[in-house]
Amino acid sequence: MTPTRKRRLIALLLILAGVGVASTVAFYSLQENLLYFQSPSDLAMQPIPPGRQFRLGGLVKPGSVTRAQDGLGTRFVVTDGPKEVEVEYVGILPDLFREGQGVIARGALDGNGLFEASEVLAKHDENYMPPEVAEALEESGHTVRSSDGR
Amino acid sequence: MNTNIAVKDKPRKNALVLFIHKLGSPPWFYDFTGKFIPWLWLIFVGLAAWALYLGLVRGPADYLQGESVRIIYLHVPAAWASLLIYASMAVMAFIALVWRIRIVEILAMCSAPIGAAFTIVTLTAGSLWGRPTWGTYWVWDARLTSELVLLFLYLGVIGLYNAIDEPRKAARAACLLAIVGAVNLPIIHYSVKWWNTLHQGSSVSLLGGSSIDASILWPMLIMAFAVKFYYLANLLTRARVRLLEQDLRKGWVKDVVREQRP
Amino acid sequence: MSHLPFIWAAYSIGTVVLLWCAFAPLVRKKSAVRDIRRLIQLEEPARDTDT
Repeated sequence: MTPTRKRRLIALLLILAGVGVASTVAFYSLQENLLYFQSPSDLAMQPIPPGRQFRLGGLVKPGSVTRAQDGLGTRFVVTDGPKEVEVEYVGILPDLFREGQGVIARGALDGNGLFEASEVLAKHDENYMPPEVAEALEESGHTVRSSDGR
Repeated sequence: MNTNIAVKDKPRKNALVLFIHKLGSPPWFYDFTGKFIPWLWLIFVGLAAWALYLGLVRGPADYLQGESVRIIYLHVPAAWASLLIYASMAVMAFIALVWRIRIVEILAMCSAPIGAAFTIVTLTAGSLWGRPTWGTYWVWDARLTSELVLLFLYLGVIGLYNAIDEPRKAARAACLLAIVGAVNLPIIHYSVKWWNTLHQGSSVSLLGGSSIDASILWPMLIMAFAVKFYYLANLLTRARVRLLEQDLRKGWVKDVVREQRP
Repeated sequence: MSHLPFIWAAYSIGTVVLLWCAFAPLVRKKSAVRDIRRLIQLEEPARDTDT
């Protein structure tokens, strides 16, 4: 390799290393803000004061969904295993909303630990399969959905 | 300098080295690639048709998301392509900057519009999948945002290349941007692991197998393979046009044009 | 809610973008070849009058 090429190579590698270090530092410091949602466990460790908007993510606890008699209101429990939070939402739920499914709700806590959601999104997991396979899996006792709510 | 002279004095060169040297010569590159571009298009069309038939006609709907799962035959291959094309552009940009080989420079620069097209397809198809599945077209989570940044990087490379009049200078500046922007690639890939995102985690990994049923996985993989041929065919087509434009006044270009039917 | 319109929209947009990306260089090639032809004619006027 000629000296000029060697010099260019070294200069480029130095630039790359510099940019790499800078972006790593930037991303470590931004880590908190990049979390799109908090899990109930995150919330238990670092409580968020009532009234402040954030996103809560987890699985809809099976058997916890109750619909209000008068219309669109729904109450359900979001869980990530160890911790859970009760959520109230008035509005139309996404198609994929069902018990055991991952959801992300945006809203704020009221004073009594109830999360009042203004928006609920369904979270899909990384499993894709035809209905027959899902049924066969359920019958053989496997859980189809991932358990960590991601 | 001494090593250079030594190479020149050698009577015979390694066949591969010779081939690479030949590819570096514009007329030879133009002729050689022209021969198999139609075949690359043919392979792409064949594979894509097969994948879409398997996925859209024969394939099943998903147990949970229903018919909208069929969008992944477009979304996932396009997303993989958008990352792979950026990676290949960055590697070629690196080679171009260190060794100043004009063909490699042109290939790197011609990758950018193709990568941008795949990024646009990724974002729109993903968005149209998100509406029925998640309940929203767009969220600012780490995965979606970093993929959008990828689009801006591609547009930045294209813009910078076109903004400077002298083509070699323009390529040098744009190549540097392409290399620096490559830090975004691991961020896109690992975003679903490092942060809580609405976007689901990876279903397919090189080592860990996949959590997609075979009936859905295979059409997707075939499509992902097909898309590589689209990239190659499109890239070589673009590079040949660029060569004609840059060598406007050279003898070989005139010969090429004279040989064509008017 | 039917999901079919979303699938159609996704594939239509995808097809349009990829077709455009594939044909754009062919249009450029046409105009480049036209330019080169003009150059050839400017430089070699004798050639045209001969034939």
